Amino acid sequence: MEFSIYRFNPETDTLPKMQPFTLPDDQVEPGMMLLDALLLLKEQDDSLGFRRSCQHGVCGSDGMNINGTNGLACVTPLEELDTPVTLRPFPGMPVVRDLIVDMTNFWDQYRAAEPWLVNDSPEPEVERKQDPADRDELDGLYECILCGCCSAACPSYWWNPDKFLGPAALLQAARFIKDTRDEATEHRLDRLDDAWKLYRCHTIMNCTQVCPKGLNPAKAISDIRRTMLKRSL
Amino acid sequence: MRLLSGQRAWLLQRITAVYLGVYSVLMLGYFIFFAPADHARWVAFVGHPLVGLLTALGVVALLLHAWIGLRDVIMDYVHPFGIRLTVLILSATGLLILGLWAFAILFKAWLS
Repeated sequence: MEFSIYRFNPETDTLPKMQPFTLPDDQVEPGMMLLDALLLLKEQDDSLGFRRSCQHGVCGSDGMNINGTNGLACVTPLEELDTPVTLRPFPGMPVVRDLIVDMTNFWDQYRAAEPWLVNDSPEPEVERKQDPADRDELDGLYECILCGCCSAACPSYWWNPDKFLGPAALLQAARFIKDTRDEATEHRLDRLDDAWKLYRCHTIMNCTQVCPKGLNPAKAISDIRRTMLKRSL
Repeated sequence: MRLLSGQRAWLLQRITAVYLGVYSVLMLGYFIFFAPADHARWVAFVGHPLVGLLTALGVVALLLHAWIGLRDVIMDYVHPFGIRLTVLILSATGLLILGLWAFAILFKAWLS
């Protein structure tokens, strides 16, 4: 099986290049994921750099651009991919080495969404209880693993990564705006009501298309807009 | 600077779109089914207070809609602050001139 993988080592290269790799057919097993293949290719050339950790689509480390679409290598079945499998780092993010990108800006925007529960009411003796129906509102929002596939697929985030929060951070913003235990809803909505942080989203929906967890950041963003609208009416 | 940014801009863009959609269909219907025979009749039509008012509102809606759209495109793609400001000012000036021109036409039609 043929691969074409983006290679760049800032210490020795001035320009990136695509390097061909071949995985012998006897090493390809049914049900194999792309990450399994990458680990075998790394045995051929141990200078190949990529992130991975849990290998089961939970940690979100191995996000990359696979045949032009962002995804997680560990949950992408090898047999579904056209050859040569072209692997590149996330578009729009600075490359550290090979498939490894610098996600500092992504984390900065995540932090800017204030992804923590704000509740200054006196703590109850046991846990803060939530109505099951209210808890259900968080389904589809809390499952995000912050792999970055969505934000790295978003043209608005490519153009203005420093000002637009990006779909991943906005999904988290929506998660805390929807949380009935959170008391900072007004503050959260006020902060997002400018020309950049939320409203750079033009509903392109690449985020929803690529999310490896099947989440819908575009809908979460639209829900924030609707909440904002209801508040102002 | 919340006058025309964030949620208000987004909402105005949608409201003006609805108005322009309805206005365009009405005007299209008029020109298809009751097309004015000559310039004088067209002037009389536009000079009618109701048509004039609807058209004036249409011009305002169009200008607002175009401004928000242009501003979005410029914010997305033009990044150096100085150039962005210049392009924004040029776009706003162009739209204002178009608006004044449209109002001058409407005013002339209303007078005659």
